Amino acid sequence: MSNKGDIKLEKISRKRKKIQGEAAWILNVPYILYSIIFLVLPLGWAGWLAVTDWNLMSPKYNIVGFSNYIKLFTDEKVQAAFWNSYRYLVPIVVLCVIFGIGIALLTSKLPSKLKGTVAVMFFIPYLTSGVATSVMIKYVFSYNSALNIFLRNQFDIDINWMQSKAAFWVLVGMIVWKMSGYYALFVLSAIESISADVYEAAAIDNCTGINKFFMITLPMITPTMTSVIVLAAGLSFQIFAEPFLLTGGGPSLDTTTWQLEIYNSSFVRFQAGYGAAMAIINAIQIFVTIKIITVIMNKFNKKFGW
Amino acid sequence: MNNEKIKPSTVINISITMLILILALFPYYYMIMQSFVPWDMVDKTVIPREISFKSYEYLLNRGGASNPFMWIRALINSFLVAAPTALLSVVVGLMTGYSSSKMKFKGSNIIYGSLIFQMFFPVIILLVPRYMIVRPLANQYAGMILPLSISIWAIFMYINYFKTVPDAIFEAAKIDGASHMKIITKIALPSTKSISIIVFLSVFMTRWNELMWDMLIAPDVNMQTLNVMISTQFNQNSNLPGPMYAASVLLTVPIIVLFLCFSKYFKEGINFMLK
Repeated sequence: MSNKGDIKLEKISRKRKKIQGEAAWILNVPYILYSIIFLVLPLGWAGWLAVTDWNLMSPKYNIVGFSNYIKLFTDEKVQAAFWNSYRYLVPIVVLCVIFGIGIALLTSKLPSKLKGTVAVMFFIPYLTSGVATSVMIKYVFSYNSALNIFLRNQFDIDINWMQSKAAFWVLVGMIVWKMSGYYALFVLSAIESISADVYEAAAIDNCTGINKFFMITLPMITPTMTSVIVLAAGLSFQIFAEPFLLTGGGPSLDTTTWQLEIYNSSFVRFQAGYGAAMAIINAIQIFVTIKIITVIMNKFNKKFGW
Repeated sequence: MNNEKIKPSTVINISITMLILILALFPYYYMIMQSFVPWDMVDKTVIPREISFKSYEYLLNRGGASNPFMWIRALINSFLVAAPTALLSVVVGLMTGYSSSKMKFKGSNIIYGSLIFQMFFPVIILLVPRYMIVRPLANQYAGMILPLSISIWAIFMYINYFKTVPDAIFEAAKIDGASHMKIITKIALPSTKSISIIVFLSVFMTRWNELMWDMLIAPDVNMQTLNVMISTQFNQNSNLPGPMYAASVLLTVPIIVLFLCFSKYFKEGINFMLK
């Protein structure tokens, strides 16, 4: 008798599992459809485009094999985009980490009434469109702005900001300004989660001030710092609005980025096939770079026992 | 530790923090102020002596010859694109996030693997082919909304959240005979209030600030978002700084106000962002 009951129960539970499986798949229908239409299909298409010379408009195109990729290596715009990625990455990551930690440390020591409000206020620049900041920067650094008139009259300095080497640093500054407060929120949340016992133990061992920061706080927040560094590094590959509106990638490709060059070749010069090949190389560079950074950071994490 | 006196170190700390905060927020003061000064004073002063609404009047009345209200229209377009995108991200994030973390089913590892893959996938590769696929919907809201309507980040926010909720809550409802639809709408959704608000606002903000896709798919002046309109008009009429500052204020201030209104939910949500 019990045997029969077991079989019945098993049947019911199997049926339940099946229903649950069906329900789960139904819940995932929008995601799956989206992935097929906007990920799988375009991904295959991108690989195909990259071996053609298609011009985005005409129905005709030729298969050119790997010549797009070969051309990439000698294209000075691509070389500039490749190296600029790292020229952007290093200062953006370093400055974002310094400002992120700095803001978080200052905020964490505030009286608890102020803490939340101040952290949110530092977060505001993150919400700002790159277009709005670009508008402001363009006018503030334009020839007849109060700033430049002041510099000319008082110090006899005449800089054509957006056409000089300074342009790159203006762009870096805009991005660091935008992102620091956002990263500071993560760092703050990590600092807050360090238990008071750790600091009490440190105080007994006479570990204070800068020592306390490097010996206690920093090791305790390395997992969060890993995420922040990876996020900031990924961000340096996605710069578009600022150079697009302010410098056009100039002077002499000094501020150009992958996104700008891919946009220009695909939709301004109508070399869609070439642009697709460029995007693939860019993706490989991002993947390898992020992988290297994670491996290095994981070594640090291990060293601190995470 | 209940000392009523404020220590001098606290005062120094507060002053330094406030100084940095003022520096960080100064650009907003500058932008808002320049949008309210007379046109001959734009970028010439930091403390205005006179206030003028001319820049905003320009945006209201003097758009293009064919379309006098193009700036207002662009502002509305930005809302009409960002709000449905954010809503879709919340709905799909909830559905996929719940099923990936709370339902055991055959093939769930395929979905999860695909999510991880997309999380780290550089979207730039897909730009040209996506444009080809969506081109029939050019200059339509659907073409602007659909391709960016699902946020992988949002799905992971929900997965991370549901991981922290004990299975027992959902099991109990199941034993009571509740259907999956009921569990999601009656139990899962209300419990995710703060996560859903954060996801909605973050996706809204990201979509609102999107430039490249909108520039490609909706170049028509009637369909441009405010972000796109500023960047196109800015290149053509850069001799009108006042209205450009005013438009930038319209672009940034609504988002900031929206976030400040809901800022109390962020403390809870921040814990799910980096997992």
